[in-house]
Amino acid sequence: MDQKVLVVDQQKCTGCRQCELVCSVYHTGASNPSRSRVRVVKWEQAGIYLPMTCNHCEKAFCVEVCPTKACHREPEKENRVVIDRNLCIGCRTCIIACPFGQPFFDAQERVTVKCDYCDGDPQCVAFCNVKAISFVDADRAQMAKKKEAANKLADLLKQARG
Amino acid sequence: MATESVQPIRSAKYVRPQQEWKEIIAVYLYLAGMGAGSFIIGILIHWTRIELNPLSIPFIELFGVRLDLAKFPILWGPIMVSIGAPFLILDLGIKWRFMYACLNPRTSWVARGFIILSIFIVFGLLILAKSFLPFKWLHPESGLWLIPEVIAFVFALGTALYTGILLKATKSVPLWNTHLLPLLFLASALSTGSMSIILSTLGTGLLSYNSEGMKVLMAGEQICVVIEGIVLYLFLSRRYRASEQGKESVRLLITGKLRYVFWQGIILLGFIFPVVLEWISKYYQNSALLFIAGLSLLTGGFFLRLGVLHAGIKDQIPMQRLMEIQYDMKRVH
Ligand code: SF4
Ligand code: SF4
Repeated sequence: MDQKVLVVDQQKCTGCRQCELVCSVYHTGASNPSRSRVRVVKWEQAGIYLPMTCNHCEKAFCVEVCPTKACHREPEKENRVVIDRNLCIGCRTCIIACPFGQPFFDAQERVTVKCDYCDGDPQCVAFCNVKAISFVDADRAQMAKKKEAANKLADLLKQARG
Repeated sequence: MATESVQPIRSAKYVRPQQEWKEIIAVYLYLAGMGAGSFIIGILIHWTRIELNPLSIPFIELFGVRLDLAKFPILWGPIMVSIGAPFLILDLGIKWRFMYACLNPRTSWVARGFIILSIFIVFGLLILAKSFLPFKWLHPESGLWLIPEVIAFVFALGTALYTGILLKATKSVPLWNTHLLPLLFLASALSTGSMSIILSTLGTGLLSYNSEGMKVLMAGEQICVVIEGIVLYLFLSRRYRASEQGKESVRLLITGKLRYVFWQGIILLGFIFPVVLEWISKYYQNSALLFIAGLSLLTGGFFLRLGVLHAGIKDQIPMQRLMEIQYDMKRVH
């Protein structure tokens, strides 16, 4: 299956944290944002809210450090990175390794949990009122855009440092 | 549907040190490092065949077997490591599943660590057992014993280095992501290890206070402390320049929340106290002072692990960095 990705438009997000609620309900049955796989981060300086989700990275640090292969990639399912809760030993190395503040340790299940695209129908996307999160094909055009953005970032970084 | 207390929204403004690995892991890193370090020093003493004074150590009789404890005070390192290893397991979410990690050694450093420590513990305990069991069929004088000794020595080195590699391998914490960290932990393992051997032989007269062996050991220990100090300085100064988060971590240690751990725990207890006290104790030939110096150095070694763990701040999220720059640009234009 083609790879799909979650794309966040931080300009649209109002910080209502609806996504956190539906995520926790979908995955745990409890409406408890502290058990959600998506977390809204407040970026005060810029005055925006940013829902942080797992990026299912191409080169995923979390997969690299997992001692049991519980954290692994599933190429057949949107190329997602998931944690097998039956294999996870709860060592939390993946949490330390992820640069995006992802996987979360679920204190009740005693294992680490992460975004799994809700098996193809992300609830955060379905319930976001302002459509700040969307689930799109990571096709060529998208990749080109991403590359462009990455180049821009590199330029900006250079300027900022220079 | 259960409703539970709502988690306050996370703010990206504050850089937070990692919250996942804390005291338990520090104890694990410390005991593994110290045990491995003392075994390295112990086996070196054993190889150099420095004259030990066997009469000063009483043998004990257990179930009619005469146990010769002459080598015990220099070879007990593996026991420390076997006490330390369960602390890693204790920190797991689901403890019995640690077996899963042992079965997948090629996956990661956490798993490799399980294997390295296990091999060291098995061979180390074997050498220790051979040193006091009197059975003839063990052929204690046989040259073949050199093989397990070398294996144990190599894996002791591996264990000491591994405690740093474990942290380095997570990559996204700039403070840890350097070759200097395994080196720092190795230096600390050797200094705490040699000090613990000095302590364990002190009362026994095994290496008596004035003997050549003790002098060499103490000189070695002091060299280790000096090297550790240099590596610590290099580590902190390089990390300070490595990245924004590296700088933040070092600041946290030196002037921030962790300054007590750093100045009192690491610097005072780990370096200044032991060096000064050892010097005085040498002058007055006072074992009690040396004992206090030793305890202080051993405590300092623990605080070193604790400080490094607690100061681990993750790299900034790239997206946040992009936004920060965008925001700055907007402001400029
Ligand atoms: S958990 Fe983190 S490192 Fe792993 S795929 Fe998701 S964003 Fe990438
Ligand atoms: S917490 Fe679980 S998924 Fe994460 S690295 Fe450890 S075993 Fe793997």
